[in-house]
Amino acid sequence: MTLDLAMRWTEILLALALTIPTLEHITAGDPRERLLFMLRLPLLVLLAVAPFPSLTPWVCLTLCVVAILALHRFEGPYNGGSDKMSLLILFCLTLAHFLPEPRWKELAFGYLALQLTLSYFISGWVKIRNPDWRTGRALQDVFAFSAYPVAENLRTLADQKSLLLAGSWLVITCELLFPFSLMSKWTLIPFLILAASFHLSNAIFFGLNRFVLVWIAAYPSILWLQARFIG
Amino acid sequence: MLRTLQLILPALIPSWNFFDVIAPSPRIEYTTCNGPDDTRLDWQPFRPRPEQITLTTMLRRLVWNPRWNESLFLVSCAERLSQDITPDHSAREITTRLRRDLALTTTASHFRFRLVFIHREGTEITSEVIYISAAEPIS
Repeated sequence: MTLDLAMRWTEILLALALTIPTLEHITAGDPRERLLFMLRLPLLVLLAVAPFPSLTPWVCLTLCVVAILALHRFEGPYNGGSDKMSLLILFCLTLAHFLPEPRWKELAFGYLALQLTLSYFISGWVKIRNPDWRTGRALQDVFAFSAYPVAENLRTLADQKSLLLAGSWLVITCELLFPFSLMSKWTLIPFLILAASFHLSNAIFFGLNRFVLVWIAAYPSILWLQARFIG
Repeated sequence: MLRTLQLILPALIPSWNFFDVIAPSPRIEYTTCNGPDDTRLDWQPFRPRPEQITLTTMLRRLVWNPRWNESLFLVSCAERLSQDITPDHSAREITTRLRRDLALTTTASHFRFRLVFIHREGTEITSEVIYISAAEPIS
């Protein structure tokens, strides 16, 4: 995958990932919020379709400005990690478009791939260092009293100690092993499918639906990085 | 400019420590009343989650889930309010959404809200009220 193709796929996937949240803000938000996100909608269409490719860098830059305005409006990200990842993707794309040298472009886009890798590895690292995660207690707590389970009957899963212990170690192991998947395209692709399934399960159990497409939007960067530097 | 940097930097240099510890979890509860001097306290959960959801609802929510995403934002606001981070903004965001929902369901003139934090102490799950708002008009 070439850098240009990876960036183009990232633009299309990011536009898709941000369109539904944008429509949600337009339909359910207050007037100021609506105005801000109505501004974002045509920019996302331009990003996805790219009718004038020479304008795409400016579309990315304007989307960055809108994202900063949204950060001010909500005094931080509206939906935590998913907003942070979308902002990171936008900034890396914008930098990669505007930097003059091919190597600098690669550096900017490679930074996104690095952060994607870290997003899994560090999540695994902080978990394995916590005894509550190693014993399955943390995942029990997530189901027992956190704000995330989407229905009360899911809280009964907190009693399934063996299942949650196995689930905790599965998540920790996969997150820690993620960097090793870069060794080959044939290990990376299954890991990305596994990771996407993990985000999907978080959307089903915890309503974290905005994470799914945003994280997938960063996958072209890691596919490019693997092909470019490891092969 | 400084505030913009404070907002952007956590996205550009993220920590990625999702669920490193399971922190005390906030719930927003409200009670309606008829003015600031009315001291009735009948606390109700704000937007309680359903007992169960159907497969169709689950699939729909994978795509379209504005109310839940707004509720997750309110969880962030409750956490920020409890930590005294942008407390005025967080209280305003919670108040605005409570007011909007209650205007459709109650004839009372005012409401208060409180934040209850649920956490584990040893083997017990306990809760603690850490914030109670002043009475706010509904309309």
